[in-house]
Amino acid sequence: MEEDKMGTIERHVLANRRTVIKGLGAGAFALAAPAILRSAQAQSKEVVYATWGGSWEDAMRKVWFDPFAQQTGIKVKTIQGPDYGKIRAMVRAGKTEWDVVEVNPDFQWVGPREGLLEKLDFNIIKTEDLIKGEELITEYSVPGGFWSRVLVYNTKKFPTGSHPKSFVEFWDVKKFPGKRVLYAKANGGALEAALLADGVHRDKLYPLDVDRALKSLDKIKDHVLWYETNAQAVQYMQDELGVLALMSDGRAKFAIEKGAPIAIEFQDSQLTWTSLIVPKNPPNKENAMRLINHMSSVEGQRLIGNEFTYGLVTPKAYALLPPGRADALTNGPKQQGKTILMNERWWGDNQPSVQDKMNAWRLL
Amino acid sequence: MTTTVQAVPKWTPTALDRLWGRDPDLRPALRRGLLGTPGLLFILVFFLYPLFLLVELSFQAKAGGWSSEHYLRIFNTTVYAQIIWKTAWISATVTLLNFLVAYPFAVALARSKGWVRIVLLISILMPFWTNLLVRAYGWIVVLHPRGLINTMLGGLGLIGEPVAIVHNTTGVLIGMTQIMLPYMVLPIAAQIEKMDGRLLQAARSLGASPLRTFAHVFFPLTLPGVFAGALMVFVLSLGFFVIPALLGGRRDILIAQLIHFNLTKVLNWELAAALSTILLVITLGIFLAAQRWFRLNSLWSEVK
Repeated sequence: MEEDKMGTIERHVLANRRTVIKGLGAGAFALAAPAILRSAQAQSKEVVYATWGGSWEDAMRKVWFDPFAQQTGIKVKTIQGPDYGKIRAMVRAGKTEWDVVEVNPDFQWVGPREGLLEKLDFNIIKTEDLIKGEELITEYSVPGGFWSRVLVYNTKKFPTGSHPKSFVEFWDVKKFPGKRVLYAKANGGALEAALLADGVHRDKLYPLDVDRALKSLDKIKDHVLWYETNAQAVQYMQDELGVLALMSDGRAKFAIEKGAPIAIEFQDSQLTWTSLIVPKNPPNKENAMRLINHMSSVEGQRLIGNEFTYGLVTPKAYALLPPGRADALTNGPKQQGKTILMNERWWGDNQPSVQDKMNAWRLL
Repeated sequence: MTTTVQAVPKWTPTALDRLWGRDPDLRPALRRGLLGTPGLLFILVFFLYPLFLLVELSFQAKAGGWSSEHYLRIFNTTVYAQIIWKTAWISATVTLLNFLVAYPFAVALARSKGWVRIVLLISILMPFWTNLLVRAYGWIVVLHPRGLINTMLGGLGLIGEPVAIVHNTTGVLIGMTQIMLPYMVLPIAAQIEKMDGRLLQAARSLGASPLRTFAHVFFPLTLPGVFAGALMVFVLSLGFFVIPALLGGRRDILIAQLIHFNLTKVLNWELAAALSTILLVITLGIFLAAQRWFRLNSLWSEVK
């Protein structure tokens, strides 16, 4: 979901502004502290949710958080910018302030390794309707929503029908001349695409042959615009500096709505998800589990499906959507069967060394 | 008539006198020391102690215990050395470009008066007060293939194809140079303002040409400002992060980006600490060298 929100760097800088505002808030807190502490001793009626923010947060507030508060009396407080580094800092300092955090799935393996995550309480969180898969549900995490990276093309240059329909064609700079827009971070999908372009079968991508992928990238490296934030990818395509891109579906759909001359080819789109985790020793552990269960219930998923475009984590809920609505969502009927599930566990284990290799390749 | 001059016994300060600062030899030093105490304490608690923790962290093994594994990894993986070198190279280039732009500007600023001076000051400080991201995106708008500069050059018929001045190293250099400008302009301008104008008159009256006066009198007198500015620009540039990410291209990876990646993405804080420590050692080395060779102190002392 990071993918659909602000880029990391924008968040980083804006977060500093927020710290100042928070500092002001802290002053107010000091004044109100006695009252707050009294109520905390009595019974926790709060749960803190760290989110990527933006319109996604507005949607969650409307269909999940406000109804949850009405039903249970537990208020959901949101924090923007769920930084892994902050989780580590809070847990190590023994002052965890967040109860539920939405993260990229690699963190469900990185987090436990660093001793940062609380095991989920599956007595409270019901999993029978959740989508199955050992990568998807772990002791420490359940999926929060799906999103994908898709092949995007400029419709003026390549009208639909005569557009590239695979990554082999995406790599064909003679037939489809122009700049390709790719994510500069190692787990941003470029390596998977490079292997598909080189003829690796979609079921045999992992473990990634990184050297082969980089050799494949060599073939187009003078035709690539690299992006560091998702906003840049949209900008490149809107400005028509790039004619092809591998970018997040949410961003692409948003740009299409805004009138950008682009369209999506769903074939071999890379499916990934956002994970819901609970940092170690959260202030409101039970409320955290109850909120997660509320969000991932079939009813919760039906509601969010009407409000936002992320793929639903309970397959049953798709059938409850109004006709046609499912097509707007990630992994909807139009996309079904065309996706490749990212092996986020492999990425959780290998990201540092692969990033080193990719950096070395970039400097060449 | 003779008078005997009685020898005045020499006053020797007791330990107590010393403590109270009554010893005339120690007094200024002690007073300075006392004045500096709050600042020193602040630096000790909020800067040196965290810095110590950082260095300590860099020697901790991922599995627990002490180790130099992170340093070994950095020294044994060429890409880290390449990125450190790239960082130093970009910082040095930014420093040089800054000098070339800032020097004439500083002269104009120091010599200007009234509203011209205000306009010059604002033009250098306004961007300084503007959010880094806003400036980065501003530069993209200006440098973009269909941005202001390319449209202008194209309209004048000077170029056929748009020139690539953003999303590559050129873009990084332009963006960083502008952001660092105040750090170079202000020390040089300060140096020019405290210059004794009579020295220039003396040189001219002794027959030196304007160029010679500049080369042998004016320029050497501004050197402490140049060195101080250069040092600040270079050291601050070593830590740049947002600009290379937004204005740079495939090859523009700086060490701060590596530190950020390890800190927030893969949570290898130990490696991030080792990279930061290396950056710190390089910075300190440069600072000490500058101190030794360029007598940086003369910037904040009277002209001798």
